[in-house]
Amino acid sequence: MASSAHKFCVERILLSCRRSLRTCSRSYAKAKTKKDHTSPLPGGWQGRVGLEIHAQISSNSKLFSGSQVQFSAPPNTLVSPLDASLPGTLPVLNRRCVEAGVLTALALNCHINRRSLFDRKHYFYADLPAGYQITQQRLPLAVNGHMTFDVYDESRSQRQVLKSCQVRIKQLQLEQDSGKSLHDQENGEVLVDLNRAGVALMEIVTEPDMVDGAEAAAMVKELQLILQALGTCDGNMSEGSMRVDANISVSRSNEELGTRAEVKNINSAKFVQKAIEYEMQRQIRVLEGAGEVEEETRYFDWKAGKTISLRDKEQRHDYRYMPEPNLPPLIVYTDATSPRGMQDSVVNIDRIREQMPELPDTTRRRLVEKYGIQFQHSVALVGEGLVEYFETLIDVKGKGRDPRSAASWVLTDLLEQLHKRSLTFQECSVTASKLGEIVDLVGMGTISKSTGKKSVVLYKAHMLQLTCPTKYIFCWIFSQILGLLFDGDNRSLSQIIEENEWAQIRDEETLGRICDDILEKHTELVEAYRKGNVKVVNRLMGEVQKATNRCAEPTVTSRVLKLKLEEH
Amino acid sequence: MNHLPRLCRAPLVGRPVLLAITRRLSSKVPPEPTWEEVDETKLPKPTKIDKDTIDHLERLALVDFANKEGISRLEAAIRFADQMFLVDTTGVEPMDSVLEDRELYLRADTVTEGNCKDEILRNAGKVVEDYFVAPPGNIPLPKKEEYDR
Amino acid sequence: MLGLTLKETARVLNEGSVTAAELCAACVARARQVQQLNVFITETYDMAGQQAAESTLRHRQGSRLHVLDGIPVTIKDAFSTAGIRTTCSSRILRDYVPPYNATMVQRLVDRGAVLLGKTNMDEFAMGSGSVDSIFGPVRNPWKYNFQTRHQEQDSQPIRDSCHDLKPKSMQMRTMHHHVTSTEDSDWFITGGSSGGSAVAVAAGICKAALGSDTGGSVRNPASYCGVVGLKPTYGLLSRHGLIPLVNSLDVPGIFTRCVDDAVIMLGALAGHDPKDSTTVSDPFQPFSLPEHIDITRLHVGIPKEYHAPHLSEETLSTWKRAADMLEDAGARVSQVSLPHTPYSIVCYSVLCAAEVASNMARYDGLEFGHRGSDHSSTEALYAQTRHEGFNDVVRGRILAGNYFLLKRHYDHYFTQAQRIRRLIANDFRKVFEGGVDILLTPTTLSPARSYRWFVQADNRTRTEQEDVFTQPVNLAGIPAVNVPVSLSEDGLPIGLQLIGQSFQEKTLLTAAKWLEQQVNFPHLQLPDPSEMS
Repeated sequence: MASSAHKFCVERILLSCRRSLRTCSRSYAKAKTKKDHTSPLPGGWQGRVGLEIHAQISSNSKLFSGSQVQFSAPPNTLVSPLDASLPGTLPVLNRRCVEAGVLTALALNCHINRRSLFDRKHYFYADLPAGYQITQQRLPLAVNGHMTFDVYDESRSQRQVLKSCQVRIKQLQLEQDSGKSLHDQENGEVLVDLNRAGVALMEIVTEPDMVDGAEAAAMVKELQLILQALGTCDGNMSEGSMRVDANISVSRSNEELGTRAEVKNINSAKFVQKAIEYEMQRQIRVLEGAGEVEEETRYFDWKAGKTISLRDKEQRHDYRYMPEPNLPPLIVYTDATSPRGMQDSVVNIDRIREQMPELPDTTRRRLVEKYGIQFQHSVALVGEGLVEYFETLIDVKGKGRDPRSAASWVLTDLLEQLHKRSLTFQECSVTASKLGEIVDLVGMGTISKSTGKKSVVLYKAHMLQLTCPTKYIFCWIFSQILGLLFDGDNRSLSQIIEENEWAQIRDEETLGRICDDILEKHTELVEAYRKGNVKVVNRLMGEVQKATNRCAEPTVTSRVLKLKLEEH
Repeated sequence: MNHLPRLCRAPLVGRPVLLAITRRLSSKVPPEPTWEEVDETKLPKPTKIDKDTIDHLERLALVDFANKEGISRLEAAIRFADQMFLVDTTGVEPMDSVLEDRELYLRADTVTEGNCKDEILRNAGKVVEDYFVAPPGNIPLPKKEEYDR
Repeated sequence: MLGLTLKETARVLNEGSVTAAELCAACVARARQVQQLNVFITETYDMAGQQAAESTLRHRQGSRLHVLDGIPVTIKDAFSTAGIRTTCSSRILRDYVPPYNATMVQRLVDRGAVLLGKTNMDEFAMGSGSVDSIFGPVRNPWKYNFQTRHQEQDSQPIRDSCHDLKPKSMQMRTMHHHVTSTEDSDWFITGGSSGGSAVAVAAGICKAALGSDTGGSVRNPASYCGVVGLKPTYGLLSRHGLIPLVNSLDVPGIFTRCVDDAVIMLGALAGHDPKDSTTVSDPFQPFSLPEHIDITRLHVGIPKEYHAPHLSEETLSTWKRAADMLEDAGARVSQVSLPHTPYSIVCYSVLCAAEVASNMARYDGLEFGHRGSDHSSTEALYAQTRHEGFNDVVRGRILAGNYFLLKRHYDHYFTQAQRIRRLIANDFRKVFEGGVDILLTPTTLSPARSYRWFVQADNRTRTEQEDVFTQPVNLAGIPAVNVPVSLSEDGLPIGLQLIGQSFQEKTLLTAAKWLEQQVNFPHLQLPDPSEMS
């Protein structure tokens, strides 16, 4: 057992070594490359990407009806007569959806139109019961915004910033979502569930300012974080609460845009990049083969990693937009224009702006400034939605744990456990305070001490009051405990440690130094021993145990102590 | 039944009216029609609907009316609409609705309806396991062999 | 009992001299007596009896809900009624049963009104004759020869003659194919599209009826049937549950025997509805009209463009006499101009077609309504469903509307129509700003025409002609009312239209009441049902 445990320990040490090298307090400068923003494709081709993002608004009820909004429910149970488009039903606008749209538009630096209008967009489809969608085509809620985001180098595990980009937001509008169609291949039928029909969407349209898939993917990820921070959309692409359509073109020159193709059915940020990369290559192949790119809608087949033409004969679909006659103009107010006595029933841009929560960009900088953690850790914490967890773990008002170690524990061990068990962060059963307990128990504080050219990390064990480079042992213990907790072990932490005998120090070198320490402090006892008083050994053992908080393994300690005694 | 218009005497219920003083010189109702029907020659050339247009419209409208009868009705409706161009509308703003100066009522974000699956499905011609049923769309999802190379 | 006004009826119910149950039974008997007029699509006599019994009990206990408690009413079959078939006279909704009540219906029910049935109309309210219905045309009770008909015909009128529709290749879609012959066509049309409701009131079947008015669909049949037909201001009455023709023009309308009755109905129905975003949130105060009306404060406008081509002599002279009468009584009467009147019908037809194209897009057979059998693809199913379900008038308008809404035509046709709409609304506004309180015009070009004459031209032509005086009012969103004024030489009603300013129903109806008091219109008298063999 000892040898396999030892072997395992060594492996863990090596792993932890690698990790700790990464989490060393070596700071990496933010690498801003001087890459040209316009030409990432070979052969002199310029790519251009614009995105249309549909984000489902987190609200209790739908945009125009009082049906509940919920991701999964038995078919057609969240449907009102309006959602089913029964004749004679009329839309009534949900205030919360307007507020969410305004808040999002403000976060994207848009101009909010004081007056905006609704229109009908007509097409026939089984999951569109009215034969038209209510949207805002002529005069949307907000226009002319912009968003900045960083593109990271994911190829190396450190999140190095490759470049900083800005994309213009053309408009943000409110519109209805459609129902869902399920294809029953066996019976050659389409089954329609209208639970989703009428759910509120924000459509965010960007200008074609992005040049490749990486930029677009980064933009999408940042937008997800922004929406999650605002609470207006959960940004969950796999569940469909956020969908991205990409408009992609390539051309030789930077001024003129090529013919664009629209690609739909992209359901993750990763696929945003893949789909765009594939499509750009495809268009280049077509153009280099002296063909022409068709202006069409294509479908991203994620299994094959390709875009496929939908071969819709009616490529230029005429939506016959018409003003929605059942909805008078939507008016939003400011403090200056808000009608007296009606503050509660109108949407006030200024009030909403006051309630703007901290946005991801600000959070990333704040974590670095406030806690001194490294920038890429800050990026990772924000990116994985771990900020609150992290800040709870640091427990500033309470014990005050070291932020940098805390970041490391969260980003490496915690995420590793989740990943190993294929869990999402939402499903994490180990709370921040529990993790904090482990940290305290196993004991990590860090002292950074520069000795000349190299920084050497010296770890001081709170509990054991030792300074030794055996932090790796503690890493190992830490991840063992964490693993047990994830597996559902509900013993107390001290129980776990005791029953596994991890707290026992067996390492002879360590014990040797501890004994040296003790012997130096108790010279009179050493003297007594020399004079033949063997009972002193017990006393010395007692001292060692006191100093190690009863963690010294008795048999080994006894042997080491005796040896040391001989030496002294 | 041979009733004559009975407006000869206006029964004045308890109010003195200065009939003599307010004697009108002539009726305010004009004796002759004040306008004529539109002169066809003033209109632009009649629109003829070609096959492409009617096919396009049929796809958008799905009423199966792309036959002779449908086309002639459409052309007549367009011809009638052409009369609009006899009116000078320079500088006139289009009017969406008489409520253009009003503002949209907003409701609170509470769940007030839904959860009535049986009522919703009751009028549907075909239902399978609580789903509405449609035939496959005109653009089926492509099979493996049909990928672009 | 059947000849009393709503107001009078409420009084006798309240006094207890007649019970609601007795009244209901009498109305049902009258309805059966005049069944040939084809007023009802769906009769709800059993439910009415139940409602009447409950009302009788409430009256006995002295706890009547409202002046409308126990009053029999009928509803145009364009209003959704929970659990009761609502068809819009179309095959596509022939078996549709809504799960909810229109707000107008709910408000009547909440006040104890007794619902006798859903009345016949032009399919989807497209038409001005109430002849284009899958259930057959509605017949005007005026000059109707009940005696002869009673001997010749079944008591069941022609119903649903489309049930044996042949495949379309074999089918002959003639203009009014549901009527097998025009031999029996000496009767007069009711006007439309709310013909059934107008007749229900005129024939004494009920005391009040709901209709809808998009381009005159309440005022037109009111004029032909000799009843009061009120189209309130757009935004005053809720359209929730009213199956729309043109959402930006539709208004629920009221048919009654006299103006005071219309005021009572208005008081029960008007006011903000949170389910209809196009109702105004201004609070509505129900009002009543005085018996003695001082007309001298009124400034009446006579728009000269309403002497349109083809205005009949009799209608013209009726109009003249009314204008003169007002002036003689001390009102200020001036001739005014609404210069864009001649273009109003064109503008209306474009806006109407566009909205129809849009509103009808939901009829695909999936969630409700008629469903075709062609399941080869969604498009094929939709096209077949809509072909079978809609008549030619509806389909023609859908096609035209889509044409006008095409991207390449939108600015040319649709926006131009919207500009003309503003000109027309401005015409009215300028006249009212100039000090005019109300306008007096004819309602229709002439008294009711015979069915035989009417079907010689197609629906669109007839609508163009018939709606000339009524639809500008819808474009401007202002209120108007038809007041029955006199009978023609042939014995058919002639009505006149009064037009008022937005939300000034009280002024409008005061003037209407005055006119009504002066003319003493001879309402239709039918023999007591018990006297019929």
